[in-house]
Amino acid sequence: MICAGIDAGSRAIKVVLLDGNTGQVLSRCSADQLYQPGRQAQELFEQALAAGGLTRRDVRRVVATGYARAAVQADTTVTEITCHAIGVRHTLPAARTVVEIGGQDSKLLRLDPDGRVRDFAMNDRCAAGTGRFLEMVAARLGVPVGELGRMAQGNRCPAAISSMCAVFAETEIIGLLASGRPQAEIIAGVQAAVAARVAAMAGGRVTRPVAFTGGVAQVDGMAGALEQALGQAVIIPDNPQYTGALGAALAALRQIAP
Amino acid sequence: MNSPHQISLDDWEIRYHRLKAGGLNEPWYGGPLSRHAGRGDKRLLSLRFDNSPPALRLWNFLLTEEERLHQARAAGGKIVGAMKDLGTAAVMAFSLPNVTAFYPDGAWWVPCIMEQGTGDLEVADALGIDESFCPVRAMLGAFVRGAHFPRPDLLVCSVGATCDDFSAIAQRLSSLGYPILWWEAPHRRRAEAGEAAVDLPGGLAAPAAQVRFVRRQLELVRAGLEELTDRKLDDALLAEGIAQANQFRRLLGELRRLAYTRVPCPLGALEMLVAEMLAIHFCSDRAEAIVVIGQLLDEVRRRSALGLGVLDECAVPVFWVNPVADLKVMNILEECGGRLCGSEFLFSHALDEIPADIEPLEALARTALADPMVGPASDRAERICRECRRFGAKAVVISRIPGASHCATESDIIADMVRNRLDLPTVEIEVPPICDADAPGIRTRLEALIESARQRT
Repeated sequence: MICAGIDAGSRAIKVVLLDGNTGQVLSRCSADQLYQPGRQAQELFEQALAAGGLTRRDVRRVVATGYARAAVQADTTVTEITCHAIGVRHTLPAARTVVEIGGQDSKLLRLDPDGRVRDFAMNDRCAAGTGRFLEMVAARLGVPVGELGRMAQGNRCPAAISSMCAVFAETEIIGLLASGRPQAEIIAGVQAAVAARVAAMAGGRVTRPVAFTGGVAQVDGMAGALEQALGQAVIIPDNPQYTGALGAALAALRQIAP
Repeated sequence: MNSPHQISLDDWEIRYHRLKAGGLNEPWYGGPLSRHAGRGDKRLLSLRFDNSPPALRLWNFLLTEEERLHQARAAGGKIVGAMKDLGTAAVMAFSLPNVTAFYPDGAWWVPCIMEQGTGDLEVADALGIDESFCPVRAMLGAFVRGAHFPRPDLLVCSVGATCDDFSAIAQRLSSLGYPILWWEAPHRRRAEAGEAAVDLPGGLAAPAAQVRFVRRQLELVRAGLEELTDRKLDDALLAEGIAQANQFRRLLGELRRLAYTRVPCPLGALEMLVAEMLAIHFCSDRAEAIVVIGQLLDEVRRRSALGLGVLDECAVPVFWVNPVADLKVMNILEECGGRLCGSEFLFSHALDEIPADIEPLEALARTALADPMVGPASDRAERICRECRRFGAKAVVISRIPGASHCATESDIIADMVRNRLDLPTVEIEVPPICDADAPGIRTRLEALIESARQRT
């Protein structure tokens, strides 16, 4: 019994095909969201099927999640809040807090011991707590986002980024660069600023263990910045950017066999 | 078509003409809802409405307030703008014959209803009251432009323990040459040891000294109204005014009980929001407000008796904190699988009956001190928890108003108490006057809240 999860996020679309009998992921793929997320999700779904040697008839149920979930052809939709909780329950069953930082939003979920969402907070109004901020900095420095962590290694003193707004923070960064501040310290400062915005959503109430999911979890240095901001260790599951899509596939499985 | 359900404005157009052909009897302000959209209330095109004649009357009553005020002026009546206290000064004003009270702050819905194309917010911007303030700043534009309501003969406004942003807006209005009769509402506190305390409506209490202080403030309001009308506002008139207000509040209380508890839900969230808002100032016609709310209650009773409703039986009961600047969000809650099962719209003191067994001004002072906005947020949270239990809420939405100073700190206090005492999922959202651009995020939060509530049951 194969189920599919499609996470049509604001920055990227991810697809996971899951063997419901074994719990094994059969195939996964992702792509930056360009336009027409519904059509793109369908194409990506076809790619995932082909990669797994499957056809659409092999898939019992499809659940879509993410910002553009309503545009995706699926049997039903489930919010990314619930899907991340389900995905984390599968990969890190003990987790009681989930921090998800995506391209254009961030979330903080508190889970009960059974992995159900107790409550959640979500930031999709301010880029300063999202991967978009890191992308902006990478563009300003002329490097790929994936390089930021390596570049920040060995910094002695993260620069203080005081602005609450990513646009004005960019102005601060330009000023810091002009003043000769090392890039490593600026990058570390930006990572700390992103982490601080996310930690603020927790309001000081974080129950361990903390799972860190979403595409930004793959950026070197972000986990450390988040640990510093939360005052807690964080655990990154395998393939953190696919946690929502995995959760959607598991949600599909639950809908077939509750 | 006659069974209870929610319909679009276009559907109402068809239904209206069928009802008229069938003999629908309407008051002078009746007519098809579409005419309001034609006059500029464009947000109505996006909403879904209850399809009953009493709901039609409710909407027409709401959307003809401007005409009502102009009629009152033309008839030689006095018009009183009762600002900020949301339920006390208006009761006093309506106690005098030939006086119509209205709620200028209500202009905060105008940018929504008119899809922002009014110019009111731009005027406020130009006067230095920009979008960092609560959308109630639209009131400033309405005054300056002379739009939406006639210039009042008297403006009464409470200050002190009220919203900082509203005080700033009202002071700006005063600086523009609009005389305001200010009265002060102190921050409600608990009586200290050895200090005499007085019970207030809503299960609250305050030091007797604070009640005396507010009573003296309301004496100023009484004197202002007497000067305006050249007539004494004696206790007999006030007592009758209180009795009328209480009649409305009793009807509304019963409407809330039925609409928030019956399964299936007999009346949608949008109409309940509008119905509750009438409690503030009776939409400028107290007697008619009683008729409107009474007919709505009759319809809800009828539906409840027949087991009829407008929503699916499995809709999740959601308690809502704070009114929304965009009415559309109440529809969105239901589209996400929720139903309204209780509310705390910042004027719960206008829902509770005014004590009728004590001196009228003393009763009004106690009511004014029970204003949720003049007391600590923890008092609001206590009431919210009580009402969540009473109405069987399975989740709570705390809706922030952008720029509203009271929203800055109270959300966490309310959410913490709800989680700790009731263990209910709670979410905070922010609703601007037009939420279309934010709708995906709002939907995600509401859907996730309802998913969480369903997982628990």
